[in-house]
Amino acid sequence: MNRTGTIVALLAAALAAGCATKKGFEKPGFAYGCPLGDAKASSMDDLVRLKVVSEGKRTTILATEMRCTMTGDLLRIDANLNNDSSRVKRIAYKFRWIDREGMRAWEEEVWKPLLMYESSNLTINAVSPTNKAVDFRLLLMSQE
Amino acid sequence: MIDSNRTRRLALLPLLAAVALAAGCAQEQTRYGDARGIETVTNQFGSTDLQMIAESMTRSMLQAPVIISGNLPIVTVQEVRNKTSEYIDTRAITDTIRAELQKGGKVRFAVDQAAMKQQIEEVQRQQGEFFDKEQATEKGKMVGAQYRMEGNITSIVKQVKDVKDVYYKFNLQLWNIRNGLLEWSDEKEIRKTTTKG
Repeated sequence: MNRTGTIVALLAAALAAGCATKKGFEKPGFAYGCPLGDAKASSMDDLVRLKVVSEGKRTTILATEMRCTMTGDLLRIDANLNNDSSRVKRIAYKFRWIDREGMRAWEEEVWKPLLMYESSNLTINAVSPTNKAVDFRLLLMSQE
Repeated sequence: MIDSNRTRRLALLPLLAAVALAAGCAQEQTRYGDARGIETVTNQFGSTDLQMIAESMTRSMLQAPVIISGNLPIVTVQEVRNKTSEYIDTRAITDTIRAELQKGGKVRFAVDQAAMKQQIEEVQRQQGEFFDKEQATEKGKMVGAQYRMEGNITSIVKQVKDVKDVYYKFNLQLWNIRNGLLEWSDEKEIRKTTTKG
């Protein structure tokens, strides 16, 4: 009976370990290379929800994918934006950089205007201005 | 007859008051705005263009191998030639780029040609009889730059009756002074179109 119990426990442990190493290349606290802080993200949608913020007039442009990597000691971000409407859309975006204490690591960036053709995708990218920036938010605003 | 004139005059009073009120409302109003907001007052080179160019160039330069190496390269800022048809203070662009890079702490800047006169005057002033000889800055101690930063801004302007299209291209380069190699270069393009009516 004891042996059966041990086997069941070992199987459960192996299963749990298997699940935990599914994304073995990912560091803890990161998703798709992007820092998560204390938050949890188990999918791309979760990551996008955590990182994208709407400011001012809401836009229908959606961030669909986001990937991060380190260039030297700076954080590099690629974010895919999608315009699934049948009209050209104009938006503005900027990144907000956050330090280890959750405070602003850099001054506010300039709003960057962006034109998106109908039914199109566009990848925007950014590099953190300082190695003090360990987290970020992508801010989107409609310019219609 | 007099009564009718008075009545007419009285009837005009609210109209005059309305005009005075409207004139009052038309007075100009000054408010603070967002210095980092998108400025589209005209399609000439503006603050948003300057800030976008400076930000884009700075972030790109931070990824250059000579800067990633972490050796704190010493850079001097040279001229950004304005090849557009409008007046652009290119010094404002390079000043912003320099300030951003300096703040990032990955680059050091040596005195450039524009500030050289003041630098020499200050060193010479300290050689004067009123300064403590031991604390005064000696001649021949300035550090020369390893890299020089220079660039161009060009534009293509096209205009038909109701449409004006302006295209700007800003190019910045980082040259190795010792061996003349181009260590980094990048461009930023901006297109603005104004339509009337």
